[in-house]
Amino acid sequence: MIHCPSCGADLAVRDGAVPYTTCAHCQSLVLREGMNAEAIGKVAVVPFDVSPVQLGTSFTVERLHMVTVGRVRWGWSAGSWNEWFLRADDGSARWLAEAMGMFMLTVERPDILERPLAQILVHGGPLIPGCELEIDGEAYQATDVKDAQCLGSEGDLPFPTLSGWQMTNVDFRAPGGGALSLQRDSEGTTAWLGWWFELAGLAPKGLREIEGWTLPEAMR
Amino acid sequence: MSGVRSVSCPNCGGSLEVRAAGYSASLGCRYCGSILDVSRPEVELVAAYNREATTFTLPPGSRGTVFGTEWQVVGALRRSDGEGAWDEYLLFNPYVGYRWPVASEGEWQFGTMLLDRPQGDADSVTWRGARYTRAMHQPDATTETVVGEFYWRVARGDRARCSSYERGHDSLSREESDGEVNWTLLVPVRAREIEGAFGLKRDAPANKRQSLYVSHADHTDDLPRMFMIATVAAIVVLALMLALSGPTQRAAAIIKAPFGSTREGQMIGTITIERPWQFVTIHAQGSDFENRWVDIDYSVVDRATGQSIDGYGLVEHYSGRDSDGTWSEGSRTTKTLFGRLPRGIYDIYADAQAHAWPIDEAPQASGWNAPEVLDVRVEAKTGSVPWGNFWTLLLLLMAVPLLVTWRRVRNRE
Repeated sequence: MIHCPSCGADLAVRDGAVPYTTCAHCQSLVLREGMNAEAIGKVAVVPFDVSPVQLGTSFTVERLHMVTVGRVRWGWSAGSWNEWFLRADDGSARWLAEAMGMFMLTVERPDILERPLAQILVHGGPLIPGCELEIDGEAYQATDVKDAQCLGSEGDLPFPTLSGWQMTNVDFRAPGGGALSLQRDSEGTTAWLGWWFELAGLAPKGLREIEGWTLPEAMR
Repeated sequence: MSGVRSVSCPNCGGSLEVRAAGYSASLGCRYCGSILDVSRPEVELVAAYNREATTFTLPPGSRGTVFGTEWQVVGALRRSDGEGAWDEYLLFNPYVGYRWPVASEGEWQFGTMLLDRPQGDADSVTWRGARYTRAMHQPDATTETVVGEFYWRVARGDRARCSSYERGHDSLSREESDGEVNWTLLVPVRAREIEGAFGLKRDAPANKRQSLYVSHADHTDDLPRMFMIATVAAIVVLALMLALSGPTQRAAAIIKAPFGSTREGQMIGTITIERPWQFVTIHAQGSDFENRWVDIDYSVVDRATGQSIDGYGLVEHYSGRDSDGTWSEGSRTTKTLFGRLPRGIYDIYADAQAHAWPIDEAPQASGWNAPEVLDVRVEAKTGSVPWGNFWTLLLLLMAVPLLVTWRRVRNRE
């Protein structure tokens, strides 16, 4: 067990494979290296929302079991959204992004960054909605481009979510429900490929109880 | 922790609830109509208005169970296209997402946003294997009033380019605003299904009309003779049609209608037309399903020329419960008439796809749950009588004597 270097509270390790964790007690952002822990700043508390997901919620898609280990809340000029960081049983990392009451589940695909279109973003250039990228025979079209700021975080995460942390996010959609997200921040650009889902399609367990609402039988 | 975020309107000070906290970007104040930005912890005034908010049939905050899911109305929009206005509502359930009931002139549709998008051009699109054709030209929709919360930035005067594609009683609506395109499936629902679910009182039914007193015709009347002539003419025409309809041949098969995909080219059988031309009917009978419908596309292919004559059939059955008790609607059987097929040998094929109402399950990344398949019995028959034509004729023949009767009854009241 490691302790928060700032307040001394126990730090739960949900995902040992990522370096950053937010102390739930004092909101310090802690950089972990082995048994050493260093507080590198303060993180904003995630604003109240009615997301059905919480740290510990698990999902099963195509027999792959995933557990929610962290969350970032992003804000942009016309709204805000959650991205949940998941660790799958096969060791891979996933992002689960919430939008319009639906969910985009993606896994990293570094090969996509080699595409000329993705290279524009990698080299700091802009992408505009409407541009297309063909992946595995499907046409992905850019539907929106957002500059987002981190509004808060919790749990274990792969990057430091201090206030002022920013990224550019380009979302693509394919006709069959496919989703691609290209994200660029100060540490570089990453490509995430996956699908859009309704919550029920993710076979969730351990969802958050929200006052005034009944958890559907199938999701308990 | 409470499921609602409380805020106060920076313009009028009214206390408001944000029910889809975290998703909602804009909130229209229900007291003064001002538009607020609620996407951040600090509420900001986007546009100040000082007027009484519009009242909507489904007030934001009300709850109801539709299609087995509990929903809360979180937002309401009144939009218009220059010719008319309609109301759109945003329903929310944190475990299910959003739905869109739309009310236009007392008719309701229930909208679900699509994860998988239709493909096609301006005239028609294909979605989950079925073709939808473009409805008449639709002008842009302008937002007139806004009450409650929305997951995007709303403002009075917002314009969106809308187009609608139809198949049977359903439509796919494509909406483009700020460069973003969204597709919604709209299925018709009964007004009482929606209004009953949200606990709204319907107007008391109108008093039953007094039954009309119909007098006996006068003895000097030529009305009976008019009826007689019309009846004789109808019988003669019917006899002629039966004689012309020719010998009957049948071909039948049971076809499979899977969900989420179309099973194409299912052979029904072969029929031969020996007369210069003949009518053919195809009759489809669904198995004992509920809240399902099956689209069937028929191809009647002439062996000699390879030319295909196409037709469409729909079997459907829905039921549910509302404030008035249980209801059911639709027919599990359907008849499609092919007029005037020239002499020849025809192979009959069917493409079929089943759908769940109000919406199919979204297709998953891989098909690990075995898809449900519906059986439909299809029978093709030559020598059918075009009954539609006959009933039209009968109506025309009877029109004059019936009109005379109606006027007499009315004058007597």
